[in-house]
Amino acid sequence: MQEWYDAIKSADTIDKIEEIRIAVFGKKGVMNAEFARMKDLSDAEKGSFAKELNIHKEALNALLLDRKLFLAMEHLEASMKAEAIDVSLYSPSSERGSLHPVMETMDRIVEYFLAMNFSVQTGPMVEDDFHNFEALNLPKYHPARDMQDTFYFKDSMLLRTHTSPVQIRTMLSQKPPIRMIAPGAVFRRDYDLTHTPMFHQVEGLVVEEAGKVSFANLKFILEDFLKTMFGDVEVRFRPSFFPFTEPSAEVDISCIFCGGEGCRVCSKTGWLEVLGCGIVDPNVFKAVGYENVSGYAFGLGVERFAMLIHRIGDLRSLFEGDTRLLEQFR
Amino acid sequence: MIVTKNWLNEWIDLGGVTTDQLLKTFNSIGLEVDRHEVLFVPNGVVIGYVETCERHPDADKLSVCQVNIGSGIRQIVCGASNVRAGIHIALATVGAELPGGLKIKAAKLRGVASEGMICSSKEVGLPSTGEGIMILDASIGELELGKNLNEYPLFNDDLIEIELTANRGDCLSIRGIARDLRAALNRPLRECAKNENQDRLGIGRILQLHHNETFEADLLFGAVDVKDFPVPFLLTLRLALIEGAYATAVDAVLLYATHSTGVILRAYPFEKFGDQESKGMITLDTDENGYAALYGKEKVSVIGVSQEKEAHFTQNEGLAIIEASYIAPDIVSKKMGEKKVPSCPHYYRTSRGSEPKIDMGIGYAMSLLEKFSSSQVYGGNIELLSSYEPRIVSMSEEEISAFIGMNVDKTTITQIFKNLGMQIGKPKGSTFAISIPQFRHDIINKQDIVEEIVRMVGIDNIPSKPLHFSEANRMGEDLNEYRKTRMYRHRAAQSGFYESVHFVFNERAQLEKYGFVCTEEDKELLNPITATFDTLRPTLLLGLLNSASANVKVNQKKIALFETGMVFDPRRNESKRLGFIVSGAMEGEKVSNAGKPSNTDFASFVQLISNVAGSFELLPHTPTHALAHPYMCAKVMIDGREAGELFRIHPNIEQEFDLAQTFVCELNTDSLPYGLVQAQPYSKYQASSRDLSLLVSKSISYETIKSVIEKHASQQVRRFYPVDRYVSEALGDQMSLTLRFVLQSDEKTLEEEDITAAMEWVLNGLNEELGVSLR
Repeated sequence: MQEWYDAIKSADTIDKIEEIRIAVFGKKGVMNAEFARMKDLSDAEKGSFAKELNIHKEALNALLLDRKLFLAMEHLEASMKAEAIDVSLYSPSSERGSLHPVMETMDRIVEYFLAMNFSVQTGPMVEDDFHNFEALNLPKYHPARDMQDTFYFKDSMLLRTHTSPVQIRTMLSQKPPIRMIAPGAVFRRDYDLTHTPMFHQVEGLVVEEAGKVSFANLKFILEDFLKTMFGDVEVRFRPSFFPFTEPSAEVDISCIFCGGEGCRVCSKTGWLEVLGCGIVDPNVFKAVGYENVSGYAFGLGVERFAMLIHRIGDLRSLFEGDTRLLEQFR
Repeated sequence: MIVTKNWLNEWIDLGGVTTDQLLKTFNSIGLEVDRHEVLFVPNGVVIGYVETCERHPDADKLSVCQVNIGSGIRQIVCGASNVRAGIHIALATVGAELPGGLKIKAAKLRGVASEGMICSSKEVGLPSTGEGIMILDASIGELELGKNLNEYPLFNDDLIEIELTANRGDCLSIRGIARDLRAALNRPLRECAKNENQDRLGIGRILQLHHNETFEADLLFGAVDVKDFPVPFLLTLRLALIEGAYATAVDAVLLYATHSTGVILRAYPFEKFGDQESKGMITLDTDENGYAALYGKEKVSVIGVSQEKEAHFTQNEGLAIIEASYIAPDIVSKKMGEKKVPSCPHYYRTSRGSEPKIDMGIGYAMSLLEKFSSSQVYGGNIELLSSYEPRIVSMSEEEISAFIGMNVDKTTITQIFKNLGMQIGKPKGSTFAISIPQFRHDIINKQDIVEEIVRMVGIDNIPSKPLHFSEANRMGEDLNEYRKTRMYRHRAAQSGFYESVHFVFNERAQLEKYGFVCTEEDKELLNPITATFDTLRPTLLLGLLNSASANVKVNQKKIALFETGMVFDPRRNESKRLGFIVSGAMEGEKVSNAGKPSNTDFASFVQLISNVAGSFELLPHTPTHALAHPYMCAKVMIDGREAGELFRIHPNIEQEFDLAQTFVCELNTDSLPYGLVQAQPYSKYQASSRDLSLLVSKSISYETIKSVIEKHASQQVRRFYPVDRYVSEALGDQMSLTLRFVLQSDEKTLEEEDITAAMEWVLNGLNEELGVSLR
């Protein structure tokens, strides 16, 4: 019997196990042969013989099953091992595209003002003098027109130099109260390291009844907005001049690169200029026929925001469709 | 506008004000600081006096000078051409360290010992004052030999450049800025002392003024008999700081006086108006362009605009007539708008508002001439002054606080306007009446008044307050349009495209070469910025092609870009488009494609576009432009409407742009669906599919086959689509086209015979109409 134990233990394939099973437990197998020997034994011997044989039968059977299970597992393991891959070869680089940093920044800006119950308004890029200048308190020959080098067409139309004409169009077509932003492309005849002939602005306008809108309100929303966009920054207002607002201010944030210590980006001042704003000039309301109203307006350059937020150094790279820049925004 | 702290200090007492405080104050009152530079001559650079100056024995261009620095004589070898005995100079003594790190040591120059260096302005870190060394004079203060230069205010100063807004002509001078600081710092101005010398010849003896009409301009004339004099060093250096250009010493003095006071000053030679025998005559008249002009024997100047070239006082000596003028900026700039004439540098000031206090300006200029030269100033002035009625703006305390959003008390308001040089009466009730002086032509209405208060109070001191506004539903059509575009942009990015932004400008010649119709000639851009951006784009594709090409040049293998933007038709009407370009590899190089990704082909490009735009149909198309491959060009149909084009770029153009096989698509966003989906009922019964392999002539387009099938298909044919196309030599002019049909009924699961019957219908129809048979 012992030889069968050894045979099972040394069997190394499932087929071999099956052969042994037939040799031991098959019709013509060892077991049956042994049991057949019983008839030649005395009754006294029969009992102990059968008992011993049954013990072997069970033990061999258990050993057989055990060995079979073991070999099956070993086989599975081997076949899985054969399928092994080096997962580290397959770290993907995403094949997704991306949104342009300027457009994505514009989306974020719009999102903020939508949450503040502003409407979104758009207008044409090809504008006339009235909407782009005259109605915005920029009469012809006003020196402030020098501030904005304008693209003109042969028929005296022009490319809007700011999104402010959308304010005028909105005020002319709607009644106060007004609460709007105008996101869009604008154009100035300037092309160097820090200027492109086209860039994007978001302009905001709020008009309510007279005496209701104050400079303090303007400060509130812009401080909140800038903190939403740039995180925990300090916000500073400096009096300035825009023809369409009075009083006017330029708004700075503490430099996000040096934390206000002074660095190359902020020209050692610790501040970055990001916005222009003010209380709407009465001449603007007069131009659109509004009476007894008050309001504020603000405007910002989206490229500037995008460059600061995403640490993009070169303005012109934003208009080159260069995959090396764009793929970083996946 | 460039100022220095010490220059300002001559017009307002800045004692105890630190530079930081000053810079902060400028920013807070709306005078934006653009640049700040410390002007500081290093220690060890001292005043010296050149006792003797002799030619170096071994070098033609070097001089050997004995320089007295009070504590002793130093021998200095100097290479400057303007060094000579008897002048005061700046000597960098041994041990001094100059900007740029040059350490002064005792040395031998061509065998002659030299104990220091006589300095030019650049060598001590100041702007250039011309060729050679600085020749110092008492204009910088009393000259004490051996005293460090940096103990003189001129050499220890702060340069501050202020970016002035267009409305603040009143701050285009040192005195003007001092005046604005007066209110912010609450300190008095220093007025220049009038030097009334009684023994002077009266100007009336040599000059008289004539005018025929009344003009809205102020004029004041003085006369001075100029004796040759060098430009005082104080003026030389300060004019160098402000980059002022001048030809003569008189020019320098007038330029300096104008920068100091803001008053427009000009000098004419007396001969323009008269001669030794006869009195000079100045006539004020309207010139041929309608401007107020001055005439002597001929026209000499246009007030506030220009001076005739030959009417400049260009000599170093002789009798000069000095003119101070003021003309209101709105008058002169309006005139310039109506009829543009050439203008001189003064026009920048006059169009923004020069200083109206012209007697102060001319008085200052004359006192400088007297101080720095032996020139004889004539007594008195000849003047023509128009009357100025000050504007009165009335405003109540409540209005002020409503605009600002905080209360400012009456005393503060009164103090602010007094300090700004404006008259303010005692408030009646809560109403103030403020009288606006001539130099603040920018203050017209109540909000201008508020601005002054805001400036002086400081915006940082205004509290932030949320606005209680009128609630309204503000979701309009424009927002809807914005959101729609945004949705498609997000889809494009998710589908592997990079968003790009291009200028709306294209090159007309390039567009025309490719057969695009450009902006009509009479609506074309008048002043394009470059030749390559000389027209408005009628398509997004050229910008995308240029970008794709640029990407190839930096070795990008897989290019997929999109853009949403406006394009312009020939009449300049704007419409929004969504454009795509794909060129080169379909995916990145990786293990799974053995480093050789296949190139994007027509089918995979169409799939990409459809991932963004949804389902559409492609129809054969011949475009009006020449960008397209003539046999791989489709019209995109969405819901039966033409939505745009999709095509491969013409191989010649691919080559021109260095591009591999390149596909583009441009869609009108108007044609793209956006809105809510309406669900349709759908059958609960099993659907079956059947394939038909048809033998079809190659010349028949699938579109034709499709329309025949649609005509003959029973209601149970729910969908059908091509799944295989096979051509071989054996098939000749024919192709095998396999279509898959999906059949389904709303009432039951279809039996085999139902399906066969439905397919028979289709096949019969195809056979009858197109001669198509089963393969």
